[in-house]
Amino acid sequence: MVKVAIYPPNSLVLGDLIERKGHTVLALQKAMSQKVRDPEIDSPPMNITEEDPLKGLKYAAIEVPSGVRGRMAVIGPLIDDAEAAIIIDDAPIGFGCVGCARTNELAMFCLRKKNIPKLEISYPTNRDETFDMVNKINAFLDSLSEEGGN
Amino acid sequence: MSANLSMSPKLSAEESDPDYAIRMIILGPKANVSENQIVNRMHLLDLPLTVKWTCYGAMVSGKKEYVEEAVKEVRKLDPYNIFTKSRGFPPGDPRRCRGHRYGPREGFHQMEKEYQILGDVGDALKHPKEVYVERPKPVPVNDLVNIVNEVIEKEDSEES
Repeated sequence: MVKVAIYPPNSLVLGDLIERKGHTVLALQKAMSQKVRDPEIDSPPMNITEEDPLKGLKYAAIEVPSGVRGRMAVIGPLIDDAEAAIIIDDAPIGFGCVGCARTNELAMFCLRKKNIPKLEISYPTNRDETFDMVNKINAFLDSLSEEGGN
Repeated sequence: MSANLSMSPKLSAEESDPDYAIRMIILGPKANVSENQIVNRMHLLDLPLTVKWTCYGAMVSGKKEYVEEAVKEVRKLDPYNIFTKSRGFPPGDPRRCRGHRYGPREGFHQMEKEYQILGDVGDALKHPKEVYVERPKPVPVNDLVNIVNEVIEKEDSEES
């Protein structure tokens, strides 16, 4: 069982495909869940405290906007834990809770520079490309199982 | 008077437990089961879970082991067209629930976009094809030196 980081980090399709193959998906929702369900919420409603931009300093310099550092405080540890990664380029879902373009760039850069097995594909725009994406992801996940996570 | 969109949650002891899991069960557009069937199926499992019937399928929450068991059982109803995703906020949490904060919740837009390809994803899972995934490898040093020498020679010949 391999810990697989995904981008976009809250993708339904990627998360589901990875779990079907028995791997652990490093999804953003799980990290957020720990934050927002903490019994001692210091800063309601979301428990984003001044500690978060400080934690983000590990990934981004002090000149970088605090929003990027705050997001990286949640996404960064997921990237650190990753043993493999699947990145979808040009995903039209880079908004909402992952709506910061600079954070997206930084997180993808951190994933690309890590020395782990990576699969980088484009977001499908038609049926054939969707088939290709699913088959490639499944083949990649099978190869991870064969390698035993190395 | 404007609405309070940043209200404090009143979480129960169970919801604050680190072992508590929340799952969204999403039916693809080609699913052969209805939301009603999957909700009934989960209730019939007789597990200590909270099950919520939603427009996209169902939301289930409770102890992690029970949630995983319920998801595994529900998937058997239509393995290629039932998708699941974990969720950060408990069901009905005022910070996310539509009933309290008006308009769609943030995650709706992403789910709406991904729902458009779920039918094809289900078909691809049903009819898998073998593909070759090439992993990028660094260029060997000797090849790199040869390429650099070639480029330098080409530039020199163009200058002279």
